[in-house]
Amino acid sequence: MSTRARRHLSAGDIATYILLVLAVFIWSIPVLWVLITSFKPRNVIFTNPPTLFFLPTLEHYVTALRTNGIVESIWHSLIISVVSTAMAMVIAIPAAYSFARLRFRGRGALTFYTLLMQMAPPMGLLIPFYYALSELKLLDSYTGLISIYLTITVPFSVWLLMTYFMEIPVELEEAAAVDGASRFTAFLRIVLPLARGGIAVTTIFAFINAWNDFLYAVVLSGPTTQPATVAIFSFLAAEESRWGPFTATGVLIMGPVVCIALLAQRHIVHGLSMGGIKG
Amino acid sequence: MISPSILVLLLIATVPLLAQVAMAFYRLDLIGFRPNGFVGLDNFRAMKDDDRFWQSLSIMGIYTVTSVVLQLVIGLALALALFRPLRGQAVLRVALLLPMILAPVVVGLSWRTLVLTPNYGILDAFTQAVGLGSHPWLTHPDWALASVIAIHTWQWTPFAFLVFTASLHAMNPEPFEAAMLDGANSWQRFRDVTLPMLRATIAIVVILRTMIALRAFDAIYSATGGGPGTATEILNLYAYRISFTSLRLGYGASLGTILLIITALTSWLVFRFRQSR
Repeated sequence: MSTRARRHLSAGDIATYILLVLAVFIWSIPVLWVLITSFKPRNVIFTNPPTLFFLPTLEHYVTALRTNGIVESIWHSLIISVVSTAMAMVIAIPAAYSFARLRFRGRGALTFYTLLMQMAPPMGLLIPFYYALSELKLLDSYTGLISIYLTITVPFSVWLLMTYFMEIPVELEEAAAVDGASRFTAFLRIVLPLARGGIAVTTIFAFINAWNDFLYAVVLSGPTTQPATVAIFSFLAAEESRWGPFTATGVLIMGPVVCIALLAQRHIVHGLSMGGIKG
Repeated sequence: MISPSILVLLLIATVPLLAQVAMAFYRLDLIGFRPNGFVGLDNFRAMKDDDRFWQSLSIMGIYTVTSVVLQLVIGLALALALFRPLRGQAVLRVALLLPMILAPVVVGLSWRTLVLTPNYGILDAFTQAVGLGSHPWLTHPDWALASVIAIHTWQWTPFAFLVFTASLHAMNPEPFEAAMLDGANSWQRFRDVTLPMLRATIAIVVILRTMIALRAFDAIYSATGGGPGTATEILNLYAYRISFTSLRLGYGASLGTILLIITALTSWLVFRFRQSR
């Protein structure tokens, strides 16, 4: 293989490269087009065929940020995602550790429930959430939304963290126990530092899942807590489609997630294969 | 510290589930004149004559099967074709990662506007440029169902690709070399060596992708809203409309219960698969 690579490109290699470029195009163009359109002057957005040549402008970002509720909605998204992610980790780390290490009655059944909750269609759980929050007068409240988001983030975090904890050799903790460390000390001093990478990846996924959520938000939030994924509809709801501010807001929603993904891309592939992101 | 967290998890994981199933046995209309209360199996009996329910179930079936098969075939073909030392792998990985981590709502809305709008969308401009013409991508029932399947396939084929690429890298090269020495051609090597070795990966991809397809809501809701009419109304969307547009929470809960049963069966398969490894 290595000797062949040094020679000239064969026809097969060229075909493979064409396929590679095509794949990159197919999967990146729709995303890049949102970015490109967000900088297009208003009169250039609706041209047939769409054009790549224009003088970039920031007008749509200004319009979007001045639109009633958009800045607030991004702020709401941030509060809800950060708080629910932090709370999820506090609950999920010890739970995942005990699933990975302890043998107790019902462990198998409980693991299955965790998986089921992680995979259950949100629509299959939303109705009792809605009913409960409306009875408790918690619709359109941070308390209500964040508690419900825990049902997305906790089961998934437990499931993913468990695999990281299981990769840590149990002998390390046994050695610590021989040296007189309690189980809790061993967990704090040995397991947690070793699982740092896994905890970071899980945190990223919990955040992305909460940040991207739409279905729970559209039903359970209201004017005072509406996140950006719901607010963005306001640009396309009316008869006239305001593509400019829509794409600018889209870029603001995608921005944080894209930055995180670029920084941690290798780890993210593992998390994805564990079912980390929901469609 | 440990047992309280399991208790919280148990609460989080079971209470909504039980509440959901319990509500399926009640009539809970937020508008209308019929008295609310326990109705036994009435909601499930009503489903039997509800054409829209059966239609949404079959649309969900078409949507799920088609998109999973497409993801599997395209993902595997691409992984095999690109499985050789290439420059630009890193660019490909980033390009493939993006669709999966972006908010499905933003993806659905972007396709509805920037990609599929006749004349102004990039895909429509492309099909016009190559002589395939402009199409009512989201406004004609047949095109709309194909379009939402295409959006889902676009968003999730990268997953199949990445998983297959990873498992091709982890494979033992010896059987390939042996087959090569025995003079097997590339199709025979694929059919008799690669495919059997990938069987476990294929199974896990199919199961996981099926579960994600069964959860689909955001992208369809934002691209077509279930329309035109009910042409792309999968069971998730029908349950949503019954519960939060018609405000019939009990009947909505019974539709949700059907969804949960389908998911539970699929989850059980995943669980058994993990245990047996």
